[in-house]
Amino acid sequence: MNSADIPLTPPTTVPVATSTESDVTIREVEQVERALIDASTRLPVLFFYGSAIVWLLLGTLLAGFTSFKLHAPDLLANVSFLTWGRVRPAHMNVMVYGWASMAGIGTAIWLMARLCRTTLRHPLLLIGGAAFWNLGVLLGVGGILAGDSTGYEWLEFPPYAAIVLFVAYSLVVSWAMLMFRFRRGDHIYITQWYLLGAFLWFPWVYGATQVMLFLVPLQGVMQEAVTWWFANNLLFLWFGAIGLGTAYYMIPKVIGRPVYSYHLAAIGFWTYALFASWTGMQRLVDGPFPAWMITASIAATILTIIPVATVGLNHHMTMRGYFGLLRYSPTLRFTVFGAISYTVFSLVGVLLSLRSVAGYVHFTEASIAYSHMGLYAFFTMIMFGSMYYIVPRLVGREWRYASLIKLHFWSSTYGVGLMVLMLLAGGLSQGASMHDPSIAFSESTESILPYLRGRSVSGLLLTVAHFVFAFHFGLMLLGLGRTASVPTFLNPQEGEALEARL
Amino acid sequence: MNENSPAPERRVRQGMDYGETEDVHQVHAAIQREKREPAVGLEPLSLWLIAIYGLAIFFGGAYLGRYSGNFSGDGLDPFGGAPRPTKSGATGPGGGAQTAELSPADRGKKIFSANCATCHQMSGTGVAGQYPPLAGSEYVNGGTRRLGMIVLKGLQGPLTVKGMAFGSAVMQPWEKTLTDAKISDVLTFIRQEWGNKGGPVTPEAIAALRKELANHPDSFTEPDLKAVPEDANLPGGEAPATKPGEPPNPQASAAPAPPKA
Repeated sequence: MNSADIPLTPPTTVPVATSTESDVTIREVEQVERALIDASTRLPVLFFYGSAIVWLLLGTLLAGFTSFKLHAPDLLANVSFLTWGRVRPAHMNVMVYGWASMAGIGTAIWLMARLCRTTLRHPLLLIGGAAFWNLGVLLGVGGILAGDSTGYEWLEFPPYAAIVLFVAYSLVVSWAMLMFRFRRGDHIYITQWYLLGAFLWFPWVYGATQVMLFLVPLQGVMQEAVTWWFANNLLFLWFGAIGLGTAYYMIPKVIGRPVYSYHLAAIGFWTYALFASWTGMQRLVDGPFPAWMITASIAATILTIIPVATVGLNHHMTMRGYFGLLRYSPTLRFTVFGAISYTVFSLVGVLLSLRSVAGYVHFTEASIAYSHMGLYAFFTMIMFGSMYYIVPRLVGREWRYASLIKLHFWSSTYGVGLMVLMLLAGGLSQGASMHDPSIAFSESTESILPYLRGRSVSGLLLTVAHFVFAFHFGLMLLGLGRTASVPTFLNPQEGEALEARL
Repeated sequence: MNENSPAPERRVRQGMDYGETEDVHQVHAAIQREKREPAVGLEPLSLWLIAIYGLAIFFGGAYLGRYSGNFSGDGLDPFGGAPRPTKSGATGPGGGAQTAELSPADRGKKIFSANCATCHQMSGTGVAGQYPPLAGSEYVNGGTRRLGMIVLKGLQGPLTVKGMAFGSAVMQPWEKTLTDAKISDVLTFIRQEWGNKGGPVTPEAIAALRKELANHPDSFTEPDLKAVPEDANLPGGEAPATKPGEPPNPQASAAPAPPKA
């Protein structure tokens, strides 16, 4: 199908709307079916989203605190549970397990139910899973702040919290698997591949790591290899898979057009599964590890160019001719921003993994920039996009203020953009001065102070974005959204005119 | 789909009321206007994309080959340098085998950076007016006897090196801190570094000197050193290179100084 000659007439919907009466009936049946599915997922998904947003706010405050401490080290330095060594891991783990994972699970449940065309049975049990998950995160963060951190990056939760998380996870995922088991229709959509993958990869990555670090600990130096394999693959195989799956749903859904190519999707999925799981050791360049281990990870990172280029092209060709919709649709805008960030994040990841570059940057702020590109610019933005799409369907109201959505989008965009730029530039200069033996280490850290202040400014922008979004979400929960037949467009007049044309 | 249609009404009423009507057919506007669930097109792969695949595989493979370290389990060197160049060390794993492979000058460098570099600097230039230089110093390049005396017993009082005066140079005695082997290693290092052209020093020579000076109580002064001829070498003279990894020293073999007993 050539997209150039069909500016804004999606092929899938138009025939349905204008053809015979029987088609209309099918459409109505589909609508009722969707309404039922949404009703069944309403409570658990809203509970996951609500908890995620509470953790997001807490994580944001912890992040701001961490960031300020880097250039104002005396700030509350006497309070032991607010020292940098505890606040930073608390921030990371709240974001990873509290915000990103819970938002991801919420979206995944809704998508799974929609795509399996099955209602969620016994949704209250899933709420139990979410409550357990919250308990796990609460225990974990409390443990970290109380000084019980394990000291492994992204795994600082003490083992008693990790066990609760694992139980909660099993509850949640068995529900998703049940939905897949009772799916209707013989077609399994791309999003379902990624979600199933994510649901099976998470216990593998998390469980194997817990065993190798805590139950049957490996010998000293190899624990570091396990830790980095875990951190990278949590990012790729868990968040990456959910994020890509969501983008594969939201983009074609909002513009009402099929995904460009099945073949690209299949290649992108399988090469991703194959290569991403080999990555992680590239963070250990120059460490006391057999050279081939590190090199194999770098080579695998280079090979991730294949899935990244494939998925990027697939999304781009799907969007082609419809980029104008980015002016109106909040969902599309966040999702496309996230999808583009995924490409950038992955290519920067390839660059940072090469031995010659990694030797310079791997102990600097540049690796923090890389994590934020993955977890924020890519994953979090896609989650925001999916929430803007899903929440109105769950609460039966439209988002109240287009202006708040705009404010949220631009503060998030500028915030994360500024943060990544500051940390990348600061990291490169820090790496260069750390490699110059004539510059004392203390000077190399002082030289990045301006960048760290810039990062704090970006953190303020993100704080604004998150509180605005939380406020808006709260209005929706209270049933204070708009009742209207059209969605909340970012530019209402133009958007509604466009909707009428479609 | 048919057998499921009665279920809906019951379920919708069950949920929390978010302003939905009880009539399930009047579904929420968002669902009504929603596009159908996404479908998948069947566009073929473009040649450009296949070319990108090829490039990625090529570079990934080339990188793996270049930096694999021969896939050796104990090779830290990505270029695959032989992990065990000599078999003289212990066969077991661990640091013992590795230190045995270092040449005396390499070991001396470590000792130097740990003990001497604070004053004499890693560059061997010392600090003008405070700590004499080692690079190009007549004391370092000359005979080994003076050098051994200075390091074992230390040095006190005014001193002139390379024409520069050092008013109150003080160097601590090292005889209690460093072993014979370490002193000989560090002397070998400073005599070959920074363009210096001295020969190596053996641990045996230092041991002999240590015995000889055992009853000398104080640090040496400049007149004490001047009393010793500049080219006086330690008993045993300049030892030939004993370690296989050691680069040959042309100075030592070309102009062997007469040993003074």
